[in-house]
Amino acid sequence: MQYVIIGSSAAGINAVEAIRAKDKDSKIVVISDEKKPLYSRCLISYLLAGTIDEKKIWYRKDSFFKNNKVNAFLGIKAVEINAKKKEVLLDNKEKVVFDKLLVATGASPKLENIPGIDKAGVFPLRTIGHTAEIQSMLEKVKAVAVLGGGLIGLRAAYALKARGKDVSVFVKSGSILSQIVDKDAASLMQKRIEEKGIKIFTGVAAKEITGDRSAKGIALDNGLKHGCELVIIGKGVSPNIEIAGGSGIKTNWGILTNDSLETNVEGIFAAGDVSETNDIALGESSINAIWPAACEQGRIAGLNMAGEREIYEGSLAMNSIEFFGLPVISVGITKPKSDAYEEIVRKDAARNIYKKVVLKDGVVAGVTFVNSIENIGIIGSLIKNKTNIEGIKNIILEDYFDYGKIIPLIKKSKKGFREPEFKETILTL
Amino acid sequence: MAKPTGNPINDHLLEIAAQNNISTIWDRFMEQEPHCGFGTLGVCCKICNLGPCRIDPFGEGAQKGACGADADTISARNLTRNAAAGAACHSDHGRTMAKTLLDTGKGIAKDYSIKDPEKLKKLAKEFGIKIENKNDLKIAEELGEAILKEFGQQEGELTLTKRAPKKQQEIWKKTNVNPRGIDIEIVQAMSRTHIGCDSEYKHVLEAAIRASLVDGWGGSMIATELSDILFGSPQPIRAEINLGVLKEDEVNVLLHGHEPVLSDIIVTASQDKEIQELVKKNGAKGINLSGICCTAAEVLMRHGVPMAGNFLQQELAIITGAVEAMVVDVQCVMPSLSEVAKSFHTKLISTSPKAKFVGMEHIEFHEKEALETAKKILRIAVENYKNRDRSKVNIPREKMTLVAGFTMENVFYNLGGSFRPSYRPLNDAIISGRIRGVAGVVGCDNPKNASGMCHADMVRELIKNDVLVVQTGCSSGACAKAGLLTPEAAFKFAGEGLKEICETVGIPPVLHTGSCVDNTRILTACCEMVKEGGIGNSIDELPVAGAAPEWMSEKAIAIGWYFVTSGIFVVIGTPLRVLGSKNVTNYICNEIEPIYGGKWAFEGDPIKAAHLMIAHIDKKREALKLKPMMYAKA
Amino acid sequence: MKKIYCNIKKCLGCGSCEIACAVEHSKSKELNNTISESPLPIKRRKAEFVEEGVAISAGCQHCDNAACVTACMSGAMYKELKTGLTRHDRDKCVGCWMCIMSCPFGAITREKQEKQVVKCDLCPDRDKPACVEACPTRALSLGTFKEFKKLCNM
Repeated sequence: MQYVIIGSSAAGINAVEAIRAKDKDSKIVVISDEKKPLYSRCLISYLLAGTIDEKKIWYRKDSFFKNNKVNAFLGIKAVEINAKKKEVLLDNKEKVVFDKLLVATGASPKLENIPGIDKAGVFPLRTIGHTAEIQSMLEKVKAVAVLGGGLIGLRAAYALKARGKDVSVFVKSGSILSQIVDKDAASLMQKRIEEKGIKIFTGVAAKEITGDRSAKGIALDNGLKHGCELVIIGKGVSPNIEIAGGSGIKTNWGILTNDSLETNVEGIFAAGDVSETNDIALGESSINAIWPAACEQGRIAGLNMAGEREIYEGSLAMNSIEFFGLPVISVGITKPKSDAYEEIVRKDAARNIYKKVVLKDGVVAGVTFVNSIENIGIIGSLIKNKTNIEGIKNIILEDYFDYGKIIPLIKKSKKGFREPEFKETILTL
Repeated sequence: MAKPTGNPINDHLLEIAAQNNISTIWDRFMEQEPHCGFGTLGVCCKICNLGPCRIDPFGEGAQKGACGADADTISARNLTRNAAAGAACHSDHGRTMAKTLLDTGKGIAKDYSIKDPEKLKKLAKEFGIKIENKNDLKIAEELGEAILKEFGQQEGELTLTKRAPKKQQEIWKKTNVNPRGIDIEIVQAMSRTHIGCDSEYKHVLEAAIRASLVDGWGGSMIATELSDILFGSPQPIRAEINLGVLKEDEVNVLLHGHEPVLSDIIVTASQDKEIQELVKKNGAKGINLSGICCTAAEVLMRHGVPMAGNFLQQELAIITGAVEAMVVDVQCVMPSLSEVAKSFHTKLISTSPKAKFVGMEHIEFHEKEALETAKKILRIAVENYKNRDRSKVNIPREKMTLVAGFTMENVFYNLGGSFRPSYRPLNDAIISGRIRGVAGVVGCDNPKNASGMCHADMVRELIKNDVLVVQTGCSSGACAKAGLLTPEAAFKFAGEGLKEICETVGIPPVLHTGSCVDNTRILTACCEMVKEGGIGNSIDELPVAGAAPEWMSEKAIAIGWYFVTSGIFVVIGTPLRVLGSKNVTNYICNEIEPIYGGKWAFEGDPIKAAHLMIAHIDKKREALKLKPMMYAKA
Repeated sequence: MKKIYCNIKKCLGCGSCEIACAVEHSKSKELNNTISESPLPIKRRKAEFVEEGVAISAGCQHCDNAACVTACMSGAMYKELKTGLTRHDRDKCVGCWMCIMSCPFGAITREKQEKQVVKCDLCPDRDKPACVEACPTRALSLGTFKEFKKLCNM
């Protein structure tokens, strides 16, 4: 049996470990277009900020491949899948055969088609390579323009401010973090960020990056100009589905998978930012391109590949960020688009606390906590288990809400909370 | 095996207890560890049924009780109720003595008599009673009435507060704590701390101070004075202490509890001819009375009755297997005694209408039939002698001699040819730098500290530094067992200056002044020292300090408060249960010093605590511009 | 795997476990001194009200399929192979709070000043965890699930 895994980040690594837990002997091949892929992608902005040094960025040690008996092709890109022949074609013209294949190619930053995007000094922020390149020119940089007010953009902005640069963020929509939290929550974070000296401009986008060979500034769509030596593009990612082209693997936005994370082609699986799975809160197919989802999908795909049937229930949108001491965590649906959803909000302006749950028919579909983030995982668990919370609606956002408060719900639940640990806690109730 | 106490006598008997599956205070104490953190910090409130509430001392959980009380209010109220309870004990003790005096005067309590008529007259004068042309019994009756009146007094002052220097009296009036009557202050300490009543913590603590002053300058002081009047003012007397005082061939009767109306009359009854004959008939060589706790101190200092042990040793006394009867009245009697006694022949007898215990025979003691009841109790003990199982007897050999019975009237009585008691020699010794100052080391023994060993450590350190130590209660017992209450101790342990004085006067460096109510002797002494002059014009100026290194009871809290608010620095071994409130802690350990001249300090290490006291005494010496210590070391 | 279990039938919600946990994880490890430390220690165990007359002492469940380990982007949260326990490596933790976001038991708390998280570590410096020793009704116990069931006569 030869397992082949394309991609060696969150999903790929967890797949390797899951397979090896079940199958110590079969061959595993990992193909990654990065020379040193075993780092935590989420930590690169910390590296850029100087909050951590390079030692801390490694998610697994160098010995990972050796210890797991993996034949690793590093710095080599997989370009084509021949599903019939069960072969993967590499960019060095080599071919790798597989019995089971996992496509974990991840996603790539969306680079807008605006003039000047190819100038030097313009970067997305996704890989350790990007960080290194930005590092190398940082000394000459005085001002930075960040295009995009999402997670990547703000993380980059925070990191570069920490490095002493003058940072401005340009957000097309009306508020930062518009993909993950509502205006009220976003404005609390915006206020904090601005207090600490990062400038935020909403309702405006760059229409051109100006300068000579290197970026010297941006021209905004409101007619104004902004001088800078470094431009960071934080406009989201799109899944790397190109490799599925021509293979017969069905794709939509991402590669479509079932609850074993298998694609429509038997023996070919997909996991991580490239795969489209069930979003538990939305109840429809979606991609939540986040680290925990990729890890879990990698693990479950690996198990299923190794012959152990485990059902993947789907992912949830989940984000945790903190800037200048203000944390914001959101899970599930935070900006409902229909009247079918109900919102319960608790604000405590004096303590800078904002808490909101989004409900549909008494079931939590999403939650946002600002500043007081403890216990939010309990609500996340209520979302996953689709628990009706009518009985605890009036306490779910209180400071004293905790695990004990959902124990009666767990006891009553017929299908949910199947993990053994839940049962252990209610054994003596 | 119980936590070893480091005391060979105790440890040997603890082994026997373990072998016989008898649980002792140390076993039960360990089972309670760790003690409830909320209670320890004073942030558990059980006052009303909205609770019981608790404050999270780590700031995450509830910061207020259901009614809105915070840690300041909760701990202040708890402390006040503690002080009230302690003061209630001493006020009851004083009440008993006053009633007995009254009944003696009236001729109802015929078994009691006036043993110190001088003191009777002096006290009567203090209470404004004319003594001319009245016999002692008449004076006693009127004095008894006058004193009892102060228990029920609703307004005015307590007579004995007038003993205090003017400054102290003015402070009490100015700070709104001058007691109006005895019972009222204790009642109001309870009513004020009801739910939804007094809640501003400094004001709440005023009630604690009132209740405590009523103890020190009321109940306790009355008890001390009247005990001297009815049973005799003590004189220095040699006696023995520790479990080794129990005798192989005599009827051992343990007196335990607090009120000398019982213990003193039993001493009398034991000398009764009928009882003596009964003893011989039962094959014993005599009756060996000995005591536990305060009542032991009372009969020790007046009659030289040996002291068997401290509060913590009460079970061990029974475990010696040599005790025919233990007679108890009130306070500090462990409910575990009957369980312990089951393995032995010991008969347990309770006597107070206020205190019954499971497994004890209750022979209620009333002053009217005092002697008759005392004889009845002794008969039970004597007739139990034949039931002693020799195979179970383990009387430790250790015992120590001590000199007890120092009162403020007699300490310097025999000095230099003068026949009038005077504080001049003491004050001069302090002024000249031979004696640094005086320390009162008092209080209970507690497994939380060192089951009694802290007292000797502290006292040795103090006398090494020329501090004259006065003691009461279980503390004096602990130091006596360590050999510190003998004149010889001066040679062994005292600094040069203190040694000189002890040699000259013929006293130990550590003076046993009595039971816990006799802490008021120390108060009275302070008043006399001020009057004598040269070392301060008010109590707060005196080079004195107080300590209760192993305090246990609520009475200790009341005693501490009355010393502190009378102007004396008091350091205790475990903190009062207020640490959960930074404000209350800061108030009682810092802010009240400029107000009352005294304050609380918490220090568990007895040596460190001794040095806190020494530093305080030095501060007072400096302020008085006294001569430097004569035999000062670096 | 040996971990801490709570017998709800015996739990009074008194909070002694919380205090013992905080004291054990403080600098001085002694109550009277702990409460004046700055910063105060953080409890890893909470006494939680469930419903009338019912309480539970809750902390890290050391889940087999630990959500915090899955979510941890630095590898600081990991499963210890030998014991099966969920461990936290402070050296790797960057304080991203993804574990707090994921823990279904609310068992993880921020140590804000250090930008680290804390959770039950089963008191590595003691023979028996502090909370287990402190529980006045012996509701808390350390052992396997099998041992726990036996203790509860279930």
